[in-house]
Amino acid sequence: MSSETNFSSADDQTLVKAAQAGDMLAFEELVARHRDKIYGRAFSMMRNEEEAIDLSQEAWVKAWQRLAQFHGESSFATWLTRITINLCLDQLRRQKRVRAESIEEMDEESGGVERQMPVVTVNPTERLERGELRQRIDTALGKLSDDHRTVLVMHEFEEMEYKEIAKAIGCSIGTVMSRLFYARRKMASLLADLKQQN
Amino acid sequence: MTTEQQLKLQAFLDGESPEGEARDVAALIARDPEAAKLHAELKNTRQALKGADAGMTLPESREFFWSKIKREIERTAPAEQPQPEPAVSFFTTLRRLFVPLSAVAALVIVCFIATKQFNSTADAAATTQGTVTELADAGAVTYHNYETGTTLVWLSYPADDSAQPKTTVQ
Repeated sequence: MSSETNFSSADDQTLVKAAQAGDMLAFEELVARHRDKIYGRAFSMMRNEEEAIDLSQEAWVKAWQRLAQFHGESSFATWLTRITINLCLDQLRRQKRVRAESIEEMDEESGGVERQMPVVTVNPTERLERGELRQRIDTALGKLSDDHRTVLVMHEFEEMEYKEIAKAIGCSIGTVMSRLFYARRKMASLLADLKQQN
Repeated sequence: MTTEQQLKLQAFLDGESPEGEARDVAALIARDPEAAKLHAELKNTRQALKGADAGMTLPESREFFWSKIKREIERTAPAEQPQPEPAVSFFTTLRRLFVPLSAVAALVIVCFIATKQFNSTADAAATTQGTVTELADAGAVTYHNYETGTTLVWLSYPADDSAQPKTTVQ
């Protein structure tokens, strides 16, 4: 493969092989293909456009440096998304160290608050347009704490199993289950509120 | 419902329950309206989130975003890879050789001078020492100084004219 035109019709596997051999044009094509997904994942974790751009850029640079370690066990996009998630988790940990967690978050962590929330009986997203639904979910996600949003994103968007999330975050499976449960219940409540407001 | 039951219900929804536990949770949902409502809420939320992250676009052009990545890759590349030896000019090589060669030459010169001085001192010492010879005639002793080329003769008995030694220059 010698031209950019050829790369645009090549599959990811071919592009990865060429990039592993040092071809930057092939890597550029991979960036063009997956940059939106990677940015989207970083944004859903960080809830900040500037940080999401920086972290997705960092993820691409890391991917280039670690290309030799990619052997195709998963798809290139999945591999790259995991790099992005790890970078986001590192960034969130750094931020957490310099900021005191709120009392509310500590209560959420203990798993007591979610039990008192009333069950949302009506599906709050029923008959919503895709764009409107996305906007509401986006707003609701922004109201979750970093810990709860992270677990929710990893489980719902990345389809990671409890044990995978626990390993990535460095906590127990029980904590993952508890955070996920709270995050879902909070999302249901927030989406119901948004429906009432509209 | 206890917290444990709620979490088991969630695991059942996510397909992460062991087989035996899944049967128990299914039975709980069937007989407990509260469990059924919670199960429905969790299911609706999961459905709503499905694919909700799709369609996000990076707010930067392809060219600009790539140029930043490329620049960063190029900036970090030398630190990652071993640095090649920079090309050395002929004069630099010559300059590098000059220092040890000069030191060796200086050492040789010092050794040469020291050896020469030692030899000349030894010669001088040898010549200045001179030789004392007793003649067959028990009454006369000669001393020859090589440095000055002087020979002194002592006569232990008084001569006819004087008792002073006779000196002969050779």
